[in-house]
Amino acid sequence: MSKFTKELVESYANDLLFHLTDEENELVLKEFDEIEKNMEEIASLPNITDTLAMTHTLDDFSFTLREDEIEETPDIEDLLKNCKSIEDREISVPKVVNNNVE
Amino acid sequence: MLNKNILELHNLLINKETTSKSLIEESLKKSHELQAKCNAFVTIIDDAKESDITKDLISGIPYGIKDNYSTKGILSTASSNTLKDYVPFFDATAIANLKKHGAVAVNKTVLDEFGMGGTGTTGHTGSVLNPWDTKRMTAGSSAGSAAAVAYGVYPFALGSDTGDSIRKPAAYCGIVGYKPTYGMISRYGLFPFASSLDHCGVLTRCVEDAAIATDAMKGIDPKDMTTWDSSDINLYNSLNKNVQGKKLFYLKEVVDLENYPHATEELKQHLENFHQTIEKLKKIGIEVKSETIDKRLFQTIGSAYTCISCAEATSNMSNLNGIIFGPAADGETVIEKMTNYRTEGFSPLIKRRFVIGSYVLKKENQERYYLNAARVRRQIVDIMKKFFETYDGLILPVSAGPAPFLDGSRKETITDDIRILENHLIIGNFGGFPSITIPNGFIDNLPVGINITGNCYKDADILNIAYNLESILPYKNQIAGGVDHE
Repeated sequence: MSKFTKELVESYANDLLFHLTDEENELVLKEFDEIEKNMEEIASLPNITDTLAMTHTLDDFSFTLREDEIEETPDIEDLLKNCKSIEDREISVPKVVNNNVE
Repeated sequence: MLNKNILELHNLLINKETTSKSLIEESLKKSHELQAKCNAFVTIIDDAKESDITKDLISGIPYGIKDNYSTKGILSTASSNTLKDYVPFFDATAIANLKKHGAVAVNKTVLDEFGMGGTGTTGHTGSVLNPWDTKRMTAGSSAGSAAAVAYGVYPFALGSDTGDSIRKPAAYCGIVGYKPTYGMISRYGLFPFASSLDHCGVLTRCVEDAAIATDAMKGIDPKDMTTWDSSDINLYNSLNKNVQGKKLFYLKEVVDLENYPHATEELKQHLENFHQTIEKLKKIGIEVKSETIDKRLFQTIGSAYTCISCAEATSNMSNLNGIIFGPAADGETVIEKMTNYRTEGFSPLIKRRFVIGSYVLKKENQERYYLNAARVRRQIVDIMKKFFETYDGLILPVSAGPAPFLDGSRKETITDDIRILENHLIIGNFGGFPSITIPNGFIDNLPVGINITGNCYKDADILNIAYNLESILPYKNQIAGGVDHE
């Protein structure tokens, strides 16, 4: 039996801040079974756990820190053009702090 | 006029035999024509203005931009409902560089949502059809760019490539697709998919144009810490006829027909065509040898890629919540607003990838999934680097044949046999290697491609080999003249 369940997928979706339909959930489950099979294949490769994981593309990479100079910043009006809900040149969002908090 | 390459257009402009305005008008007209036929664009910039003609080869010349590049004042959607109204306030560095050189953007092209797909069918504005045959896919994710360049809308368009997203659509559309060494072109302003695999690049109809466009885009950028100084490299000026002594290799396990007991007629022709191309290369003085690999390891390329790319994507796209980016959704609380925005905005395919990415990154799963995938990446890159001590590049056919049908009715079955053949282009992303696809034949009146991948920073060598191969094949500058089923 698969170790992946509908509830498990749902909990991941909740953490990721979206809902899945039953159909979407089922597709994820199918894909998980496939991935599990493939990852088993990887886990059984010789010397795999002795290999250093590659997380950066170039291993000879170097970069010089830039000078700490003042740069021109974008105009606030330009930045706010993509926002529909604005108050006094600020983005309006629902209250985050609970009203009952003292 | 726009079926010509950049150099030909530049000469016409310099000699005043045409104008930038006239080229842009023609390009916009062709954009609308192709939009009706193949649905290649998210935005056509009808008010695009001509630019001054200078000694810059691309000055005054129209081009296209994949819609995952930020363009100041121009809608940039990444072909996703989550950004369907997003208008950036700045240009991506690659775009700013092209502007400085006088190139004129005329449209934003459709991609698979956020570049996370390989079919050209998952953008929020619908599927892109292949201009060679509108029942076929272009592949993706740089689908619209590939279709537009193949159709002759302009000589070049920008793409991005995380697994094969420039190089596979180039093959299916009969054009050139080039992804330079990681960090040669700044990714600042490119919407990230998987940052350690994402590359900017270009789609053209000849190798010269790929070199010219990349020269104009590249350069170190303080806004992208992974860029490096390439000021001593001029790709266009490095093209020459000297390939004597160059050495390439192919992988026996990928190109020998005996590896495919269930090979379709299409695959047989594709491999036969590959070997014919190799013979032609040998005739111009390039040594080509066969090498062998551990098939078991290379068969895991696709799985390792899925694991790494989903993990990085999950993290990169957590800022898409309708508050930091995208239009705010309804909801009583911030969490509700973000959840509604992400539920409605992301397609099922993207959500699936996020769940997988989140799962493989969990502390208790990281070792078995994400880290093991990153170890496969290391092993494969190390093997390639060892090969590159002897050879200038790896040469392989792209995919298992020409573009599949959009309705999924491709004749052959995708089996384990062709896993490496379908996924080997990812090697270029794993290692950040320069990699170029050029057209090398036709099967059933549809184009197929061949790919050359070399060691990091050896872009000039790789382009020059491709340039010389292109010169002995009859497909340079070809325009899609295919079947329209409408």
